[in-house]
Amino acid sequence: MNGVLNATEEIVKKAKSLGADEVIAKTTFGKYRRSRFSNNEIDTTVAWNDYVTDVALSWKKRVVATQIRDFQNVDGQLKQLFGIAKVSKENPMFGGFAKGKFKHAPSSADRKIVELEDPSEYIFGAIEAAKREAGQDVNSGGILLTKFEDVYLVSSEGPIGVDSRSAIEFSIRVFSQREASGHSVECSSNLRNFDPSKAGVEAGKIAGLAKNPKVGEEGVYDVVLAPLFAGAMLGMWASMVSAFSVMIQLSVFVNKLGQKVASDIVTIKDNPAPYSVSHRVFDDEGVPIKENVFIDRGILKTYLHNTSTAKIFKTKTTGNAGLVVPTAWNVETDVGNMSKDEMFGGIKRGLYLTNTWYTRFQNYVKGDFSTIPRDGIFLIENGEIKQSLKDVRLSDNALSLLNNIAGISRERKHVHWWGEADPPSLAPYLLIKNVHMTKSK
Amino acid sequence: MEKDIVDFALEYAKGKYIEYAEVRAQNQKLEQLMLKNGILEAFLSSVNSGFCVRILAEGGIGFASTNKWTRDEAKAVVDLAYRFAKTARRKDKIKFAEEKAVETTWEVGQKKKIEDVDSETKIEQFLDADKALTSHTVNVPARVLQCIMQLTEKYFANTEGSRISSFVPKIAAFCFITVAEQGKSEQAFEQFGYSGGWEAFKGWRMTEKLVQDANILKDVITKAKAVKPGTTDLVCGSEVTGIAAHESCGHPMEADRILGREMSQAGRSFIYKGGPFWIGTRIGTDVVTIVDDPTIEHSYGYYKYDDEGIEARRRYLYKNGIINEFLHNRETAAKLGTRSNASSRSVNYDREAIVRMANTFVLSGDMTEEELIEDLKNGVYMVSFTEWNIDDKRFNQRYVGREAYLIENGELKHPVAKPVIETTTLKFWSAVDAVSKNLKFDAATCGKGDPMQGIPCYTGGPSIRLRDVYMK
Repeated sequence: MNGVLNATEEIVKKAKSLGADEVIAKTTFGKYRRSRFSNNEIDTTVAWNDYVTDVALSWKKRVVATQIRDFQNVDGQLKQLFGIAKVSKENPMFGGFAKGKFKHAPSSADRKIVELEDPSEYIFGAIEAAKREAGQDVNSGGILLTKFEDVYLVSSEGPIGVDSRSAIEFSIRVFSQREASGHSVECSSNLRNFDPSKAGVEAGKIAGLAKNPKVGEEGVYDVVLAPLFAGAMLGMWASMVSAFSVMIQLSVFVNKLGQKVASDIVTIKDNPAPYSVSHRVFDDEGVPIKENVFIDRGILKTYLHNTSTAKIFKTKTTGNAGLVVPTAWNVETDVGNMSKDEMFGGIKRGLYLTNTWYTRFQNYVKGDFSTIPRDGIFLIENGEIKQSLKDVRLSDNALSLLNNIAGISRERKHVHWWGEADPPSLAPYLLIKNVHMTKSK
Repeated sequence: MEKDIVDFALEYAKGKYIEYAEVRAQNQKLEQLMLKNGILEAFLSSVNSGFCVRILAEGGIGFASTNKWTRDEAKAVVDLAYRFAKTARRKDKIKFAEEKAVETTWEVGQKKKIEDVDSETKIEQFLDADKALTSHTVNVPARVLQCIMQLTEKYFANTEGSRISSFVPKIAAFCFITVAEQGKSEQAFEQFGYSGGWEAFKGWRMTEKLVQDANILKDVITKAKAVKPGTTDLVCGSEVTGIAAHESCGHPMEADRILGREMSQAGRSFIYKGGPFWIGTRIGTDVVTIVDDPTIEHSYGYYKYDDEGIEARRRYLYKNGIINEFLHNRETAAKLGTRSNASSRSVNYDREAIVRMANTFVLSGDMTEEELIEDLKNGVYMVSFTEWNIDDKRFNQRYVGREAYLIENGELKHPVAKPVIETTTLKFWSAVDAVSKNLKFDAATCGKGDPMQGIPCYTGGPSIRLRDVYMK
């Protein structure tokens, strides 16, 4: 594999010889397999192999990028890219790529994931687990994804790195009735800790409880968010803490550094640790990743940066460089001090929400938004689930939710689901006070 | 594109015990520029080329793709797709609806070829749009203008004898602006899309539209008043009509969703066999006819043949208020005993083609927009929307107005701040009593699939009038 690293380095050298000031090349050999199932049967398995080198270069502060997939004509593609750089416009805010030699942690990827010949047994096992929980006539659907990437990065500014990134993700939604469902996921970077039947059990349990739902009522409720829902909210807040989002005002955190943005018990960080399906040892500039606490006991401490945005904000890169803009990798809350049962126990009349989708904003700076709970919506009275509900919408504000967090569970779960609970997170149960719910009229 | 490798892969697949195989190759040249607050953040240029093999064997489907153009790789992906098809071990065997083989070539023309316009000109034209925003009297502190240009060449071949070559150029712009006045802010997103050449840029009148948006947002901040919650009449402008048609007609009419294949992601549908809604059930008033039509020339969702090689045609989804025809690919059509209506689309060679909309819109009526409004004593005219969403059975939806006005005694009055309609699909389309003739389209990117496939489409329609709906 040193050959790939050498070939990647050659691309950097060629771009430099054309006159580029700074160059980064990142070669990824990716193997991806995704089985999709519905109605308790596998619909299709999709496999795709991708061989690509991402190249970003600057010339007199003009930044251009390409993806090379045709390795027979690398010279031609680099010349064309450099030609675009010459007619491009200066980006005075470009602060260069990260400089220096870095030592990266060894990769902890699990190569066994790529060797899985027939993962369908995982699917059938989880479907059976769901049936044991919610009955033989349940209807299950979902996906099983395996991912393995070998990554080689060379920067003209010093960083060189080799990484392997593995992930296995299982998602299952179980319908016990037409409008009664439960959803759960099982996500891991390695096969050792991967047990999709746990997701089948959890989704089946929720689906069983969700039977015979009634239309919910508008109002203000104390709510408990399950990890899948909490993961969607963590992803929402984390995407808004990217310095790029802040600069284009796609964020509720604009001009709020150092200010209180959440209740005192809230600490949220980005940390692509080895357990995570988005684990990595360096970012797209070759900077070692690290844990970045961005909300510390309620106070907004930092945005997530690459080298350029860090210079604009007069700070250091946080190791969150994507190819063009900084991005969160894996979001975590600190461990709380409550159990889920304790959260329920403190609620006289509230809601337990297990999943959500379709989160949309009126105005990102103000933070007004709505999102639609699904897969198990429950009315809690005096600490106990009283009724399964349907057809309600959470219509509130991103900052208000953060400030109204009144409890965080000790238990946390690694979740990632579709475009909703994304980026991946280590999500707890969250108890949030005074949440506004609406419904169709 | 090396068609001989495609043909080789197909021949190799034919040697296996299969019911069906297809190979879909795609070569896409992509250019993307992004201006952030008047500065060119980056310019991306790339070529992505590869092919996929889809095999139906033993009633299961396997799919594999690669961007390595070698015969060995072709054999490897065929072997992989074949193995995956067999490992499905389905009890309910998948079948494809019968269709005729097609041999043809088609393309979308360009008046001004995208590839003939140099990068500098493309950048300059977007910079000019940004300058117009900043030199205007309204304060627009945050601006993101993106342009994506794709030149997509495809070659489709299947074991039934179809051989289809195509070339489609597409250009799109994505704009997000924030207006700040009096210590408050408002935001707007605009998307433009076209199948064709660089002539699109002039046709969009993007600069004019963005400056208009900035003025409107300023008015919302400085002049808008909240609507009094209650039952009232509502006139939806074409943008709002279009999103409602897309979300509460197009999506629930996708047959794969109806059959449950998207159950764990985009969800199912309020329409299902044995349920209260099926083909022939009333869902709206007589004046509501919603179609999906890929054949509108130069539309963002244009195609002549879908990604299963079926010739495109207009589909009448809701016809005079009645549920009429689902969107089908060959798999769903076979399952429901009908023919495909060419709704199978994929964003790339490495993604499976699934049931998608193309251009979904309400057919026009014969009234003018003024006539819709002049009869109303009280109401709201919602020209455009900001926040919106719908549940995964596509029944409970919410649209929040961005540009909206109070209607009093048949006249437009002051702007209304963020009016909300939160209602059901049945109530929405059953409240429509009049449809105007001012048909307009908006470009959109529809999300579906896992992995997510954002597909180009139009939403659209004329202005429509809803009676006695709850607004807040």
